[in-house]
Amino acid sequence: MPSNLAIRTQGLTKQYGQAFAVEQLDLEIEAGQFYGLLGPNGAGKSTTIHMLTTMTSATLGDAWIAGKKITDDPVAIRRTVGLVFQDSALDRTMSIDENLQFAAALYNLSPEQANARIDELLTVFGLQDQRNKKLVTLSGGQRRAIDIARGVLHKPKVLFLDEPTIGLDLPNRRSIWRFVEKLRRDEGMTIFLTTHYLEEAVACDHVDFIQNGRLEQGGTPADLIKQLAETILEIDTDKSENIVNQLASLFGDPIREDQHLSFKIIANDVDFSALQKTLGDQISSMQWRRPNLNDVYLWRFCAPDTMGSEK
Amino acid sequence: MSWRPVKAVVGREMSKLFRQRARLVSAMVRPMIWLLVIGSGVGSMLQSQQQEGYLTFLVPGILAMTLLFAALLSALTLVYDKEFGVMRMMMIAPIAHYWIVLSKLIAATLTAMVQAILLLLLLVILGLIPVNIALILLAPALLTAMCCASIGGLIAVYSKSIDNFAVIMNFFIFPLFFLSGALYPVKQLPEFLRYVVLANPFSYGVDLLKHAVPNVNTDFSVTTDIIIVVSFTCVAILVACWQFSRESVHEPLFHRSNKR
Repeated sequence: MPSNLAIRTQGLTKQYGQAFAVEQLDLEIEAGQFYGLLGPNGAGKSTTIHMLTTMTSATLGDAWIAGKKITDDPVAIRRTVGLVFQDSALDRTMSIDENLQFAAALYNLSPEQANARIDELLTVFGLQDQRNKKLVTLSGGQRRAIDIARGVLHKPKVLFLDEPTIGLDLPNRRSIWRFVEKLRRDEGMTIFLTTHYLEEAVACDHVDFIQNGRLEQGGTPADLIKQLAETILEIDTDKSENIVNQLASLFGDPIREDQHLSFKIIANDVDFSALQKTLGDQISSMQWRRPNLNDVYLWRFCAPDTMGSEK
Repeated sequence: MSWRPVKAVVGREMSKLFRQRARLVSAMVRPMIWLLVIGSGVGSMLQSQQQEGYLTFLVPGILAMTLLFAALLSALTLVYDKEFGVMRMMMIAPIAHYWIVLSKLIAATLTAMVQAILLLLLLVILGLIPVNIALILLAPALLTAMCCASIGGLIAVYSKSIDNFAVIMNFFIFPLFFLSGALYPVKQLPEFLRYVVLANPFSYGVDLLKHAVPNVNTDFSVTTDIIIVVSFTCVAILVACWQFSRESVHEPLFHRSNKR
């Protein structure tokens, strides 16, 4: 395994009975990389994380974290990784300090090391004055921050973030991402992210997609967006069949969501104003814009030729 | 393997115990009700000499009851921690998973001993036992506490959720207590119940405690009590550690978010 790889998997598979949660996963993630694994619910994202953090064993295949095979010494692997779960793993009856001191002791940090690190992390999150507050009194965003602080107390080489901002409002999400960026910058941590908020994955160095346990090669978010289309055309109409008949030959089949149609347009010379006039009162609204990562995701998992392909 | 993670798990349980003073007080109320209300009630049906003898007989039984309830309920925090997600914080830590069980059982034993010591203090203050007997009772109490914690650990690792709590109370804690000879001499039980008592490891802990109190009839020898209590405790701990280390036990923990 090349020494600069933080994570490598080879044919990693998790099977429950006849069903494959993850199938033949091959990954190579360089040290210090911000990696995103995107996919719909139940696609195998969390199972992948749980295998890589030794929380569940693979049915087949191998994986290495920071050059160490995960099955050789799971305890040593757990020292190398940090994991922030989808929902809090903290004890709500205890204070911030008690929770973090407890977690630090589990990682065998001395009280001095623990205090210094807790101070450092709480300062980053602006929670240093609330150290003795009970967790139950904190907001959702503050609790999430403490969860992340718990995950990085021991300065792991690889941090797994399993939908870390789920249920948080925008300011809290932005605060969490500023912290993650700081961790990457200051501590050189490799970040492995799964998220439903695709705009957050734009910051990733590389994203891959997973569906039905199978990895679909991705790329950098910028390349994926560029490869998808020049423009996304969105039309609201109650005459969707008419519109599709008129435009499918030009732009291909759209994604249909009730009365909403999305076309991806490769050409860069389309006169959308003229098109809008042509469609006239068949449409209630029309807009065209640059594609983003949400579109990449939608066209991967909701495009006409992928619908109904789920197992 | 460093002891710091073990101390952390034990320390967390102990700090919760001392923080929940109501839990400590209520843990004293139950045995005192048994001793003073049930003991006096049953005792009133006996002649005066037997009456005094029954109260003395009840002391080790009531102490055993305190140990059983305290250790079992403390060991069941394994299930609470699974249910509320805190267990994942321990599972992802760089310690072998069986150490989580061992730490929890050490905490359960200490919790039971704290409550036993408080009860013994109360019994001494009420003049129901002399100080020297209270001190002698500490050694068998420790062995019995370990046995009870191991029973609790065994129940906890096989319990999927705290919804099973009522089941645990009715099918484990009460039968273990009532079929242990804590309230009546085993020899006076009908034959079929006697076999059940013999199969109950807690009975030998109760009997061990009885040996420490003068003028209380015992059912087995001290050697038998110690061999059975220690052997059962070791086997139960091994089984609990093995079961807890099995992936299938904690896998639902990591799928909880997906089920929301």
